[in-house]
Amino acid sequence: MSSSTNTVCTTRKSEHKSEERPRIRLRPCVVRLCVLRPCLLRSCLLRRGALALLLCSVCLAGARVYAQDTDLRAPSAAVAGTPASIATTGGGAATFYLVGPSIAVKRDVKLGQEIDLTAKELQNSGKYIAIVCTSSCRSVGFFVAPAKPVNLAFLVHPSRAPVGESNVVSGVAIPSDEFHNLVLTPTAVDFQLTAAGAAPASHRVSTQNGVAWFHTNSGRSAGALAITASINDVSTRRVVQQVASDPCRLQIKGQQNAKGFVVETEPVRDCTGNPVPDGTVVTFTAKDAQGTDTVDAPVKKGIARAQMVGSGPVTISAASGVAMGNELHLGAQ
Amino acid sequence: MMRTNTGKKILRKTLSGSLPKVIAIATAAIALLAPQYSVGADSTPRVVLNTSKAGPRSMESQTETVILRDYKFAWTSLEQALESNSTAPLSGLFAGTANTWLTNSVTSQRSSGLSSRYLNQNHKVEAVFYAPEGDMIELHDTADYDLQIFDGGKTIHDEHVVVRYVVLMTPGADRWVIRQLQAVPQF
Repeated sequence: MSSSTNTVCTTRKSEHKSEERPRIRLRPCVVRLCVLRPCLLRSCLLRRGALALLLCSVCLAGARVYAQDTDLRAPSAAVAGTPASIATTGGGAATFYLVGPSIAVKRDVKLGQEIDLTAKELQNSGKYIAIVCTSSCRSVGFFVAPAKPVNLAFLVHPSRAPVGESNVVSGVAIPSDEFHNLVLTPTAVDFQLTAAGAAPASHRVSTQNGVAWFHTNSGRSAGALAITASINDVSTRRVVQQVASDPCRLQIKGQQNAKGFVVETEPVRDCTGNPVPDGTVVTFTAKDAQGTDTVDAPVKKGIARAQMVGSGPVTISAASGVAMGNELHLGAQ
Repeated sequence: MMRTNTGKKILRKTLSGSLPKVIAIATAAIALLAPQYSVGADSTPRVVLNTSKAGPRSMESQTETVILRDYKFAWTSLEQALESNSTAPLSGLFAGTANTWLTNSVTSQRSSGLSSRYLNQNHKVEAVFYAPEGDMIELHDTADYDLQIFDGGKTIHDEHVVVRYVVLMTPGADRWVIRQLQAVPQF
C-alpha cells in the first residue's frame, strides 16, 4: 500500500521535472491514496510550485470524489423471506439505510464489505432503496419478488343461490406467499365443485395479474355446493347453499267451516321439484258478492294455509311470485 | 400648480428609475422562492383512472368516481403518514396487508429517525380486474413522484422515480379501501 503511495507521488514528480504539462487524471486509486494517506497529502503540500498546487487540488477534489466513489451492487434476484446482501466498494465506516415496504432501518456498516440483509428485512415484496452515506450518500434500488404461493384467498358468491340459475355462482382466487405478498406470476388454480347427487365438476384456470376466477350455473337440486380452490398443495374450501327457486305452480284445496273457508296449498315446489323454503309468502284472494278479500300466508313445512271469512258462494285463488294457482269455487248451492 | 407638476414629474422620474429594479428584485425573489412553495402547491396527487379494460364486470360510473376519490385520498394520507411518522392518516383507508405494511413503515421510520416525502405525485391508474360480484378491484398504477428520504433534517435520498403498483381494493362501509399496494418491476 505504501509503495503504491510513493509510486503515485514519483509519477507526478517526474512529470513536473520533464516540464511537460502535467496530465492529472482522477483515477479512483489516486484519489483513494490521497485521502487515505494523510502523509501523502502532507508531503504533497510541502512541495513547492505548480505541481504541488496541482497535487493538492487533486487530493482535495479526491476527498470529495472519494466519498461518492462508494459503489453499491444490489441483489439481482431477491426473493421475499430469503437473505441477500449488497456488495460495496470503498473503505471506512458508513451509515446504511434500507427503506422498503414495511421497513425503514438504519445501521453502521464498513464499506468494502458486503451488507447482509436478513430474511425478515426482505419479507415483503416490492421496491427497496439501499442508501449508504459517508460525507455524501449513494443509493441503489432493487425489487424483491414474492416467494412461492402458500395461501389462497378465495371469495365465493353468493352464500345462497337459487337452483337452476345460469352463471349465478362465482369465485375469485388470489394466491399469495407466506408473507401475504401477491403472487403475480401465472399460476394454475383448480376449482372443484361438488354437490350431493351430482358428478363433481372441475375447472382449471391460470391466474392473470395474480387473480383467477370462474362463474358457473347452480345445480338442479337444493343442498350444499362445496367449492374448492387448489394450488399446488394448498386448497381452500367454501360452501354455497343451493336453495329452491321461486314456486313454479300452486295447487290449492279448501273447505267451508264455521268461520268461513279454510284453504291450503299442496306442498309448494319450484320448477325442478325442490320444496320452497319456509316463509315463502302465498297470497290467497277470495271473491264473492260483497267484494274481494286477500290474505298473505307464509309457507310452513311446505304448505301455506289461510282462514277466510264469508258464507256465500266464493271463488278463491292463490299466487306466489309469478306463479298462479288453480281457482277454487266454494259455498256454491 | 407648477410645484405640483414638478412634484409629479419628479415622482414619475423616480418611479421610472427604480421600477425596473423593483421588478427585477421581485422576479428574482419569486424565482428563488417558487421552487419551495411549489411543493405545497403540488401536494395533491394527480390521479387518472381508466376503467375501459376492467372485467369481467363492467364498472358503473358512480363506482368509478368513488374509487378515484378514495384512491387519491389514500395516497394523500399515505404521504402525510410517512412524512409526519403518524399512523393516524392511514386510519380507515387501508386494510389488511396494506395497512400492516404501512403501519410498520411508519413505526420503523419513527424508530430509525427517518421520514420520507412523496412529492408531485402523478398516477396513471388502469383497472384490470373487477370481480363478478363487484367486491374486489385490481388496479395497475404507474406512479411518478419525487421521493425524498430524510434522516432527521438531512436529506439522504432525493430522486424522481417511476414506480408501478399492483393495487387491490375492496368496498368498505362507506368507501373503497386499499388491501394491497405492491410495487412491481413491470406489469
